[in-house]
Amino acid sequence: MEDQDYILFDSYINNELSETEILAFKNRLKTDKVFAENFNLYKEANLFLKNKFENEAETSAFKNNLKSISNTHFKTTKTKTERPKHSKFFRLGQLAIAASVAVFLGLFIYNQVFSKPGYTDYNTHEPMTVVRGNVKTLIEATKAFNNKDYKKANTLLKQVLEKDPENSELQLYYAITNIELDNFTIADMQLKALINGQSAYKNRALWYAALSKLKQNSNDVSIMLLKQIPEGADDYKEAQRLLDKLE
Amino acid sequence: MSDKKIHEDQKYIEGLLENNSFIIQAIYNKFVPKVINYVKQNSGDSDQAQDIVQDTIVTIYNQAKNKGLQLTCPFDAYFFLLCKRKWLNTLKKNNKKEVTINEEVLSKGDSAHELAIETALFSEKQALFNEMFQKLGTACKDLIKATFKIKSMEEVAASLGVTYAYARKKKSLCIGQLTKLVQESPKFKQLNY
Repeated sequence: MEDQDYILFDSYINNELSETEILAFKNRLKTDKVFAENFNLYKEANLFLKNKFENEAETSAFKNNLKSISNTHFKTTKTKTERPKHSKFFRLGQLAIAASVAVFLGLFIYNQVFSKPGYTDYNTHEPMTVVRGNVKTLIEATKAFNNKDYKKANTLLKQVLEKDPENSELQLYYAITNIELDNFTIADMQLKALINGQSAYKNRALWYAALSKLKQNSNDVSIMLLKQIPEGADDYKEAQRLLDKLE
Repeated sequence: MSDKKIHEDQKYIEGLLENNSFIIQAIYNKFVPKVINYVKQNSGDSDQAQDIVQDTIVTIYNQAKNKGLQLTCPFDAYFFLLCKRKWLNTLKKNNKKEVTINEEVLSKGDSAHELAIETALFSEKQALFNEMFQKLGTACKDLIKATFKIKSMEEVAASLGVTYAYARKKKSLCIGQLTKLVQESPKFKQLNY
């Protein structure tokens, strides 16, 4: 292809030709096979470049998110499946102990299996200690929350948040009161924002989002959320225990 | 493909496009264990399975983003075929022997197979364009990058310190150069152009 052909391809793609020029171009596409083939490849290259550079930031955000989900997934499946290998004797010994213990555990397991875990098994919240700023309403809210008066705490926290909407700690406690009061839409929305944010409450928000779903009987979604809690997070162990029960 | 019905599993494709963590997580929970098993049974390990899965999801994402992928079959079959193909290619590259190819119930004529082949072809074409783009001179690469990022050719010209007419012409020639490199590559013919 000549230089001017490439210039022509580009002008056609960018709608810069006159009507007569467009007609002539289309005619040539029909009659000149090589010209048509080259044009199609040029169009493809143009599209490739457009996507490569225009979507660069979006694609890299996607790849990062994918990578972190993948790492968490593979880490948990590995720890589940790759247990250390012991000698045969040791394993036989283990089996013997397991068999005798099993009798005593029978009743306990029966309870575990047949009484499904519920939200109330987990709603022992860490006491609220937010007193920064010494605001009267905030102290009232803290008191109400710690006394389990969630309705009052909810109203007060809402007021405080109006003045301090970016405070992620307050957002979390506000979300908890909403779970307690069955205002799931508000709770889930608030928690989702925290999960997607970068605050220190990111992982705790995941835990509460899972509890919220548990209370709503959406165990599948709860499982999905629990699996996202990374090792090292405060609620990791508790989350794993709940996962075992749910799965 | 337009005459075929879109499968309800299109939700997974939409979820990937939205970078929706729940959907990505669901893909890992539902469809990935089968891939891990397959890779492990065919001379691979868990780390290799992780790479294959991640690459495949990125390929699907790219195709959805660039070509509006429409799923006409269950996601499970499509995803598994793609992962499997990728793994077999890796084995071929590493020259490992003894590949147990367990040909699935899927026959060549079904839509999962067709779609997987289409996606694989798309991915190989992308790889070829990428490889050839790297071979362009720095001036061409910079100009092309600027053109697609900044969009206004006037600004592009100003940012590179050249005239508008020059930037305009040079951009067409650089893309032309890229198509030439692609055509000259031995891979080009294998890709059914």
